Amino acid sequence: MQKITIKKGHNINISGLASREFSNAPTQKFVSISPQDFNYIKPKLLVKEGDQVSLGDALFFDKINPEVKWPSIASGTISKIVYGERRAVLDIIIEVDEEKEKNIESDKQINLSSKDNLKEFIQKHNFWPFFTQRPFNKVVNPSDSPKCIVVSLADSSPLANDLSFSLAENKEYIISALSNLKKLTDGHLYVAVRGDNFSFLSDYDFVSLIQVEGPHPSGNVGVILNRVNPLNQNEVVWTVQGSHLPVLGKLFSKGIIDFSLNICVGGPAVKPSYIKSRMGARFDQYKDSLLMENVRIISGNVLTGKQVDIDGFLGFYHSSFSVIEESFERPFIGWLHPGGKSKYSVFNAYLGSNKKSFDFTTLQNGSNRAFVPVDAWEKVFPMDIYINALARSIEANDIDEMEQLGIYECDEEDVALCSFVCPSKSDVGAIIRKGLDTIYFDK
Amino acid sequence: MNFLRKIFEETGKLVEKGKPLSWAYPVWEAADTIFFSTNKQTSKGPHIRDNMDIKRTMFFVVIALIPCYIFGAYNIGYLNALAMEIERGIVGNTIFGFTYVIPILIATFVAGAICELTFAIIRKHEVNEGFLVSCALIPLTMPPDVPLWQVFIGTSFGIIIGKEIFGGVGTNIFNPALTSRAFMYFAFPTKISGDKVWAVGPDGYSGATALAIPANPVEYDTASNLFAANTQFDYSTVNMFWGLIPGSIGETNKLLILFGAFFLIYCGIASWRIMVSSVLGLVFTALLFNLLNYFTVDGILQSGGFPNAMLTITPLQHILIGSFLFGTVFMATEPVTSSHTNTGRWIYGFLIGVLTVIIRSINPAYPEGVFLAILIMNMFAPLIDYYVVQANIKMRLARNA
Repeated sequence: MQKITIKKGHNINISGLASREFSNAPTQKFVSISPQDFNYIKPKLLVKEGDQVSLGDALFFDKINPEVKWPSIASGTISKIVYGERRAVLDIIIEVDEEKEKNIESDKQINLSSKDNLKEFIQKHNFWPFFTQRPFNKVVNPSDSPKCIVVSLADSSPLANDLSFSLAENKEYIISALSNLKKLTDGHLYVAVRGDNFSFLSDYDFVSLIQVEGPHPSGNVGVILNRVNPLNQNEVVWTVQGSHLPVLGKLFSKGIIDFSLNICVGGPAVKPSYIKSRMGARFDQYKDSLLMENVRIISGNVLTGKQVDIDGFLGFYHSSFSVIEESFERPFIGWLHPGGKSKYSVFNAYLGSNKKSFDFTTLQNGSNRAFVPVDAWEKVFPMDIYINALARSIEANDIDEMEQLGIYECDEEDVALCSFVCPSKSDVGAIIRKGLDTIYFDK
Repeated sequence: MNFLRKIFEETGKLVEKGKPLSWAYPVWEAADTIFFSTNKQTSKGPHIRDNMDIKRTMFFVVIALIPCYIFGAYNIGYLNALAMEIERGIVGNTIFGFTYVIPILIATFVAGAICELTFAIIRKHEVNEGFLVSCALIPLTMPPDVPLWQVFIGTSFGIIIGKEIFGGVGTNIFNPALTSRAFMYFAFPTKISGDKVWAVGPDGYSGATALAIPANPVEYDTASNLFAANTQFDYSTVNMFWGLIPGSIGETNKLLILFGAFFLIYCGIASWRIMVSSVLGLVFTALLFNLLNYFTVDGILQSGGFPNAMLTITPLQHILIGSFLFGTVFMATEPVTSSHTNTGRWIYGFLIGVLTVIIRSINPAYPEGVFLAILIMNMFAPLIDYYVVQANIKMRLARNA
């Protein structure tokens, strides 16, 4: 077992952490899959409103890489396809037919003896979208051979779904999923865990177990890779969400397609809880737990998640909802405030802040300004990359320099904390994405 | 509060886009967000943000400077009372001093605000709070009896040439406050070059600042002896630390400057690396020069045919005389114009210390070398960063090979 300790970073002390027990909630009647959750794809729909689909049927494919198809995450009827500007598909909403789901037979023909067999099997069940790659954080190209595969079971983001709790009942599926993932690469299969969680994995030699310690972003795939096996130019690394391991494991070991997912709802504006639910879950089933009227519902965590409406859906790669208050407050001379309970800062700029868990709101807490490099980003960015220089090279559109400075190792989520702490209120994630886009479309 | 809020909301309508007064939006926005924190929302991830913003960052630097202002005012009154041979008491001295400090402060802020607002309106960007810090720093680098029109011109030059022509805060190469200091140093040398006494006295009152004494000695001796021989002012090490000596307004009391340094370091605003390394650079070079002094004919190093007493200044005296500490703590650490990498900050600071002693000692025509040293290093900071970043690039390329 390898141990890595991250020093630079920050655990945001946000209130509304769910306690480790499941609460009851109504079953989901509608689920959705949104092509917007996937970077750099051109979706082409294979279904239309009113079509009957069953679990795992292809819903759409990527015109750029037609092999990759997206599975239906429920059996039932396509109840609505929501379009946005320029007819971009925002949501494919499926009305769940539970009876139909129960009667689906498992796939008995499981032959996963070789890499090619496994790839065929994944292709057959349209499971490629579960695999994403670095760089670019996009769905993999199945013909690539990744130099290694990383799975993080140590999500460190604020109010993250604690996988050591929510995956506790799925030990055998996790093992089955991991043993098969190893077949997809000639390199290591890195699995990051925190403390003694998932200690049973140390019995299996196909897993290169990594024990991570330290504050967020220590559980991020990019940060772990940067420490154990840095990504170089022209290399590809695959990754799978830790929360998806049971879904993969069930398919690989028993041929069962089951998209159930234990999700976590948290945040200052909601009664926090863990819920046995499913992928693409709709938030309005949990709206009774809201504590106030004016809220922002976020699919995913508060740093990198996506804002959804009250009847919005969980993103494909997300396993938690976070809810914070939409605040429009304008405190009088707020920048002179002495501190106390109403302020939170990683700088020692307020008296007695950060002691208790804090009720964050959607306020930006300042206006946008030019970069003033007071070493804020560097304090919370643990990679050996000069993030300030990288951001400048991106703004200057200098692709060579971006590559030299290590843009391939970064993803939006790795720099989210930089945006959080930035006194100039820059969106560092957007800058990194802009750089990745520039390179992606240049090639 | 509601009344004030209403005024802003009503006036805000006048400066909306498309209205005849829309050019004044940056001015309105600046006033509005000073009185009421912005209610700007996050639009996407990260949905939550830290409570620190540039307003508070800049304001904290100003807070760190306030003790220097108060002591500076007191010191003006104290030295004046000394020269006039009268008693005025602490409060009286401070009030007397403020009658000199406040006009300089007003001249600076008027000049700074005019430049900043004009550029904000022309460029249609929001008013950046950085100018508050520049304007708060400039009076502290001035002698108390500096003519106000010189302050006005100096400040305008610093803000425009030092900052705005490069694109404003975040893109400037030189520290605006130091740019105006340098401009005044060369434009009005009779008032500000540092060899005349910097105290308010009766007409015809004269004397020498601590740096001018070893720079232009009547008869060669070591710096310590020269300081001790000066009867006009108490240039003992202890008194130079407490700051009851002539100098520019903010530079004399070292304790308050150190207090400001710890405050800024604690808040995470200024880089301790720059401060520590520039002191190291200064000590290193001063010791080197002390050493050099022993390798000379008759124990006296000849400089242009004359013995150079500046070489005998001990490291501690170098730290205490002139504005080295003030420059290091408040000027060298300016985040935009200093190095942006931690390795770079060590090099940048060290070289500031080295250059300060070189400029002070080798060419005593410029007894005060700190601001020149910092400006020179401002110029080289991007180069230092370039090489630091290149090392990172080489590491990455080597890994790839």
